[in-house]
Amino acid sequence: MTGVQEQIGRRPDRPAIWARLPALLGGATGCAGGVLVLFVVVCALLAPLIAPHSPVAIDLQHKLAAPDARFWFGTDQAGRDVLSRVIWGARPSLQVGLVAVVIGTIGGVALGLVAGFYSGGWFEQAVMRALDAMAAVPLLVWAIAIVGIVGVDPVLIGPFAFGNEIKVMALLGLLYIPGLARLTYTSALVECQSDYVAARRLQGVGGWRIMLGDVLPNCLSPVIVQATLLVAVGIIIEAAISFVGLGVQPPTPSWGTMLAEARNYLFSGEWWLSLFPGLAISLTVIAFNLLGDGLRDVLDPRRNTAVFTT
Amino acid sequence: MIRLFLRRAGFSVLALLMVSLVLFVLTRAIPGSPARMVLGFDATDAQLQQFDHENGLDRPVLVQYGVWVGRLMLHGDLGKSLVTGLSMNQRVAATLPVTLELVVLAFSFAAVLSVTLGTVSAFFEGTAADHAARIFAVVGVSVPGFWLALLLILLFAVDRSWFPAGGIVPVSAGLSAHLNSLILPAFSLGVFYTAILSRMTRSSLVEVLGQDYIRTARAIGLPRRLILRYALKNALVPVVTVGAMSFGYMFGWALVIETVFNIPGMSGALLTGINQRDFALVQAVVFVFTLIFLLANLVADLANAWLNPRLAAEVR
Repeated sequence: MTGVQEQIGRRPDRPAIWARLPALLGGATGCAGGVLVLFVVVCALLAPLIAPHSPVAIDLQHKLAAPDARFWFGTDQAGRDVLSRVIWGARPSLQVGLVAVVIGTIGGVALGLVAGFYSGGWFEQAVMRALDAMAAVPLLVWAIAIVGIVGVDPVLIGPFAFGNEIKVMALLGLLYIPGLARLTYTSALVECQSDYVAARRLQGVGGWRIMLGDVLPNCLSPVIVQATLLVAVGIIIEAAISFVGLGVQPPTPSWGTMLAEARNYLFSGEWWLSLFPGLAISLTVIAFNLLGDGLRDVLDPRRNTAVFTT
Repeated sequence: MIRLFLRRAGFSVLALLMVSLVLFVLTRAIPGSPARMVLGFDATDAQLQQFDHENGLDRPVLVQYGVWVGRLMLHGDLGKSLVTGLSMNQRVAATLPVTLELVVLAFSFAAVLSVTLGTVSAFFEGTAADHAARIFAVVGVSVPGFWLALLLILLFAVDRSWFPAGGIVPVSAGLSAHLNSLILPAFSLGVFYTAILSRMTRSSLVEVLGQDYIRTARAIGLPRRLILRYALKNALVPVVTVGAMSFGYMFGWALVIETVFNIPGMSGALLTGINQRDFALVQAVVFVFTLIFLLANLVADLANAWLNPRLAAEVR
């Protein structure tokens, strides 16, 4: 008996975290995604250090210069270095993508969890119908229309001024809630039927403790996967909204606005203006998609067909 | 089936009402009256009040909304612009067909190509063709359509003038020229959905092909074509659902693609409405888009119930 006790008491030897990381991320796909995400995040954080030039300094002597040794990605119509702008442009993209997902996840998980845990009550009905109504909204059209109506002026909250992108973040976050709530709700319903929840109830554990301590952790896997993929969606949508002029406002560098400006130079041969910001968007989006796919293989292998259309 | 349809349709109407109410309240809550916008800064307070009164803007928001919904329900009237005085119905009638044609074309292209790609990919799982299709799927969902559009314009309209760089050639100038001007926009719009749907087709078909009845069919020695037919019929259930929903989503991206190609569709109307603070226009465009979106979802539900009778039985 003591032997068994010892075995239970001792945790099996596990390799160090860095050795298990590839498996945690879901093999080559997830690793490639993870490395790319890390790369983009580092670029965004260290933008002031690694950008070779100022992203906003106007230098009309060097305007519309083709890529060369000094300006790797060329310069734009105001002589600003495209490489530096692309590096700085990672900031608003990641901010919008990540903050929106955090808002959506917190809201969605809270609603879905409570609705699933107390299923059969009025709360469940109310939440699910409200979510259905919110899901009846075509995401992009609404984001464009609402930002358009509210206007693109900065938001003043107390002494702080936030750029227009804060509206895009909040809006995207709100629009993510129905999907994430439904996902949590479905898992929570299944988990609440399972034996371990019944056992916890028999132990006399309170409802909230079971919900937060037992059910919630078991519902998170698909949410993590979806949240990762939604970062990618958010980055594309932010770029699209900025592209039509309703997202990040100049002179703040952003990939979407850079592409919008590049439209004016399609016919005069300045191809680098269109190429590099788009490459940056694609790279970042691929990164999060690969990471999400890898995580799905590990965390949620059966839900292979979950699709995120926007 | 009919009950399911009625329930869904009823819910859609309700959702549409709620959603349009939110938008309505939002447009009214914005500071800065349309009267000031139309009459200019020289207008006196009396003139502003008179304008508000004539257009019913001095009434409670809910009453205004009720009037708007009433007109819409009874006469199908989407209202009239306070800024330009133009009828929204005419505006929608002029721009919707353009957007609709683009979306339908992009959707058909995406549907055909994605099912083909997904089927090839699943049948030849693990081969080079499969890998190529899967790489296309990952890249396709990651590359923003409006950037792809810019690149396509650079490559095929500026460097080689195979296609026009923007605008739509009217049908009166010849059908082939008309279609030719739609190829780049439709392709840019459709790639994302081709990628998503091909990936779904593949994973769904791989699952079905692994099931017992397909193994039995193979063991009996049924011809490949027949097996494919049996498998596809079941595998396409989720694809049809997501496909129908995608049709609704495509209108959103069509706004951006239309901007790139200067196509005079609904996006122009929406962006003009935003720039001129013409909220009747914004409201009309968003209403039409939400309606289409809900219809697409309704079709998705029905298709699902039709393809998958077990589900319909459950709902009942």
